[in-house]
Amino acid sequence: MTASRDIARDGPAPVTARAVSARGLASWLNSSKGLGLVLLAPAMVLVVLFFLVPVVVTGLIAFTNMSTATGITGGAYQVSPSALRVLTDQHGMGALAERLGQPTYTVDEQGLATLEEMGIEPGIVAGLRERHLGETYSSRREFERAIRALPERPATRTVKRISAAFSRSLANERFASAGALIAAAEAVEPDLDAAEKQALVEATYTGWTWTSENFRRLATSRDTERVFFNTLFFVATTLVLFNTGYAMVLAIATHYIPERAAGIFRIIWFLPRISPVVIYVLLWKWLAWDTGFLSALLSNFGVRPRNWMLDSATNAWVFVILINGFVGASMGMVIFASAIKAIPQSLFHAAAVDGAYRWQQIRHIILPHLKWPILFVTCYQTLSLLTSIDQTLLSTDGGPGGATEIWSLWIYHTALNNYAGNLQYGYGAAMALVLVVIGITLSLLYLRLFNYNALIIKPRIEH
Amino acid sequence: MRILLDKFSKSFGDVRVIEDMTLEVNDGEMLALLGPSGCGKSTTLFAICGIHKVSGGRIFFGERDMTDVPSQERNVGVVFQSYALYPHMTVAENIAFPLRIRKLPEAEVKRQMEEMARLVHIEELLGRRPAELSGGQQQRVALARALVRRPNVLLLDEPLANLDAKLRLEMRSEIRRIQLETGITAILVTHDQVEAMSMCDRIAIMNAGRIIQIATPQEMYRNPRTAFVAGFLGNPPIAFLDAVARDGWLAVEDADIRLPVPPGTRTPPDGTPVVLGIRPETLGREGDAPIRGRVTFVETQGRENLYDITLANGSVLRSIQRVSDDVSLNDEVEWRVRSDQIFVFSQNGERL
Amino acid sequence: MTGHLRSWPIVLALSVASAPLVLMYVYLFVDTVTNAPPGSFVPNEFTLEHWSFLWHTPRGRPSIWRVTLNSLLFATSTAALVVVISSMAGYVLSRLNVPARGFFLAGVMVLHAFPAITLIVAIFLVLQVVGLYNTLIGVILVKAAIDMPLGIWLMKGFYDTVPWEIEMAGIQDGASRFTVWRKLVLPQVKPGIFALALFAFLLGWGEFILPQVLAPGGDVQVLSVYLASLIADDNNFDMALFKSVGLFYMAPVLILFFFFQGHLMNIYGGGTKG
Ligand SMILES: Nc1ncnc2c1ncn2[C@@H]1O[C@H](COP(=O)(O)OP(=O)(O)OP(=O)(O)O)[C@@H](O)[C@H]1O
Ligand SMILES: [Mg+2]
Repeated sequence: MTASRDIARDGPAPVTARAVSARGLASWLNSSKGLGLVLLAPAMVLVVLFFLVPVVVTGLIAFTNMSTATGITGGAYQVSPSALRVLTDQHGMGALAERLGQPTYTVDEQGLATLEEMGIEPGIVAGLRERHLGETYSSRREFERAIRALPERPATRTVKRISAAFSRSLANERFASAGALIAAAEAVEPDLDAAEKQALVEATYTGWTWTSENFRRLATSRDTERVFFNTLFFVATTLVLFNTGYAMVLAIATHYIPERAAGIFRIIWFLPRISPVVIYVLLWKWLAWDTGFLSALLSNFGVRPRNWMLDSATNAWVFVILINGFVGASMGMVIFASAIKAIPQSLFHAAAVDGAYRWQQIRHIILPHLKWPILFVTCYQTLSLLTSIDQTLLSTDGGPGGATEIWSLWIYHTALNNYAGNLQYGYGAAMALVLVVIGITLSLLYLRLFNYNALIIKPRIEH
Repeated sequence: MRILLDKFSKSFGDVRVIEDMTLEVNDGEMLALLGPSGCGKSTTLFAICGIHKVSGGRIFFGERDMTDVPSQERNVGVVFQSYALYPHMTVAENIAFPLRIRKLPEAEVKRQMEEMARLVHIEELLGRRPAELSGGQQQRVALARALVRRPNVLLLDEPLANLDAKLRLEMRSEIRRIQLETGITAILVTHDQVEAMSMCDRIAIMNAGRIIQIATPQEMYRNPRTAFVAGFLGNPPIAFLDAVARDGWLAVEDADIRLPVPPGTRTPPDGTPVVLGIRPETLGREGDAPIRGRVTFVETQGRENLYDITLANGSVLRSIQRVSDDVSLNDEVEWRVRSDQIFVFSQNGERL
Repeated sequence: MTGHLRSWPIVLALSVASAPLVLMYVYLFVDTVTNAPPGSFVPNEFTLEHWSFLWHTPRGRPSIWRVTLNSLLFATSTAALVVVISSMAGYVLSRLNVPARGFFLAGVMVLHAFPAITLIVAIFLVLQVVGLYNTLIGVILVKAAIDMPLGIWLMKGFYDTVPWEIEMAGIQDGASRFTVWRKLVLPQVKPGIFALALFAFLLGWGEFILPQVLAPGGDVQVLSVYLASLIADDNNFDMALFKSVGLFYMAPVLILFFFFQGHLMNIYGGGTKG
């Protein structure tokens, strides 16, 4: 009925809001919709900036050859030796490449003007113009011989300066744009055809370009297979042994002991989760390194001290799984423990009367009640193990010799940090894209599985 | 201020909860909305105060159409069943909250808040928090908070449901006193018929989203429009008895009962099945039509006794009588009904 | 229910299983204040020499205090951002009738499960392009964004427990929806906000990979990156020093956990309920 109502109906369009009084705006803010959108705005900004945009960027970059060498923001055109090699090998324009790569001296008006500026005696300049204007020399020696042969012979130092002024070589020159490159190339080789221009521009471009090469490489690389199976092994083993298995053992065991002791054990098993990961892994290193606890302990039994974490692939895996598993166990432990606590006491009493032994209680009462919690933990932890990186990076860093390289770590090593120093953003993004797709698919799947529709309750205040 | 609901309806998604309800509450009147659980009482209340949007119809306060006015501008005071006091504020802050929202000068806020606290007798509780109050005290605070900004309309959603019996009795008269003192138009939602009858000027009985009857408590008790209304009012409740019209009489054939058609009732055609409503107080030692049965239940209520008597056909009637020792369980008795005070309903519950 | 069954075998088994962990954490303390003869783990002298990093900054490394300040800034800022944003958005999802509410709810759930770390390559590049690479602000924003879905989810849970009637009463009392949220509802979820703030602070305090990738520079280094680079430096291997820095780094965590473990276990464990 009033203007304010209309705005409430028309929604967030700021254009409408501006047109009406401050009261209209206030009442829009007072409506569920208005206030809701305002309160959601900061969250949406972060989601767009750090989830949506990165997803899109990952998708885009995966189709480029972006790397430290190409830079991120685009590049220049450089007639580098490697560019000339590309021109020769890939475009079959060896003659052009040779010409562009050679030093060339051309006597033109531009060079003469430079000489005048440099304050070379007018006689020399005039002599050059009269006798050699328009001539091109392909070697410095030849050109300088011509200069020395001028009637007004310059001093040796001046000869060098003169020849430099006419140097028209493109070798190792950088051009900001393709136009500048072509203009310069035409100064050397006036009759370039379109195909040659195109090839030249492509070969000399130093920035990144679009390509699907990353995926071809990913699909054919032997590393892919190795890292894929490493990841599979890592996720499955850790998940089964620790995140659900051992977590369940902890939850059930602490259920059967006095509350005080149970509390202490829960806290102990919580330490890995609350400890900053760097310290946590440091403690494991202390345990495993060649001067560490294990070595010292075992040396009493005549075992040679060594770095137990990295001395063999098997040991490395044991440690990677233990390190990750100890962290993962606590989440399952808490969830399972509270699920067990929620089981009606009467069920246990009944079972006790039936004379059921403990393991029968576990099998017939506890485990059936843990079905959904186990499913939840499995789903949730699959994703987080699949993408976990800190523990493995800090402990084995994928070693020894790549034995414990898992997918997420591989991305890190490819795109963010490696010894070679050439970070391949494009290739890394292609790897990441695989995980992003898996992540989105699985999280959508879980959404269905855990029936989120039951969670949507209509607000009771309708305005 | 007069309240008018004009053809108001409300649905949640596909579920129609209220259908074309028209209801008028007079200025200064206290009206009870009475009905069984889930009949739509709270829904009606929420529509009046603006928490719900209406799905159809209009709502007027006085002459003003309030249908699309936001809650905040309707100036309606509401007391919720759970009181909904603000747990983090003291009693004083709770009562002052509506005034502070209106940006009244602090001195004025304090004056009005204290005045209201006096009215509901909680002056000495002002410094406490809701968690430190008894149910009755919380209720008074809620009332004070609803009244402090002088609302045009006061809505009470089962305000006494959480109180014990004695406190309930006390608060009943207290709320009525305050309502009369302030002269505010009020709607009381309840499913307790005693509360409705004792506190309100008129009662609107609802069932399944419709208003069945609106009348003063006496009128409604004496003259229920349907069997539902008759069954809802009265404690102990009315008893129903299947009968047929026979030769201008109402007969319960397998129990050997014949009653004359009460005055003012249409005589149904011969053979029509009807339902008789017999209130406990109309069955007793005096009356004109005899009824025989066996006493199957006796309950002493102090001043009176309540009897169930089971007729030959298994139907049960109730009788309330002055305490006496001459009747005991399993006695065969022959009592009488004042046949001019029974109600005759058709099979579908309409009063004939 | 099981009182008649003996529990000591279980306690014993658990103790054995927990021994390595206990050993590691006990030695985290012991090694920082003692020296032991080579090859032995029985301390033979008390010393504070391993703590000299507090007053003596090694060459080529930022001062520990500078790094600590960065860590504090990083963790408090992310916690503050997460709390503010989540308490706003959580309220909307719990209470307000916004268009596409179901979609937003589903979105939060998906984001909560979605491993944002997979986006780190893209985020790294985006920060470089917008000039926030190697700044605290950049990595704070990223960390806040990553923790936010969980925060929103938790806050929604807390708001869900506030009785509707309080809001209805507030509206009847004439307060706007904003005032109702700010003055009436927020105070009811204070304990939840506190727990979330604590939790987000600890997450930020322990975070390693984000600052390592997005803000590794000396000026903006946080404790985790500092300690990791200390450990990675092969030329100066000094386990006792690492542990001392580690203990210094971990002390706030232990203190907070000691006082508020009830709150934290719940959130760490589930993240699905408050
Ligand atoms: N938000 C809603 N969505 C769907 N149905 C609703 C909603 N609110 C109420 N209802 C339905 O509307 C009907 C009326 O509800 P209402 O709360 O008005 O009952 P009531 O008369 O106040 O009952 P009570 O005496 O138990 O409080 C009920 O059947 C209820 O299930
Ligand atoms: Mg109700």
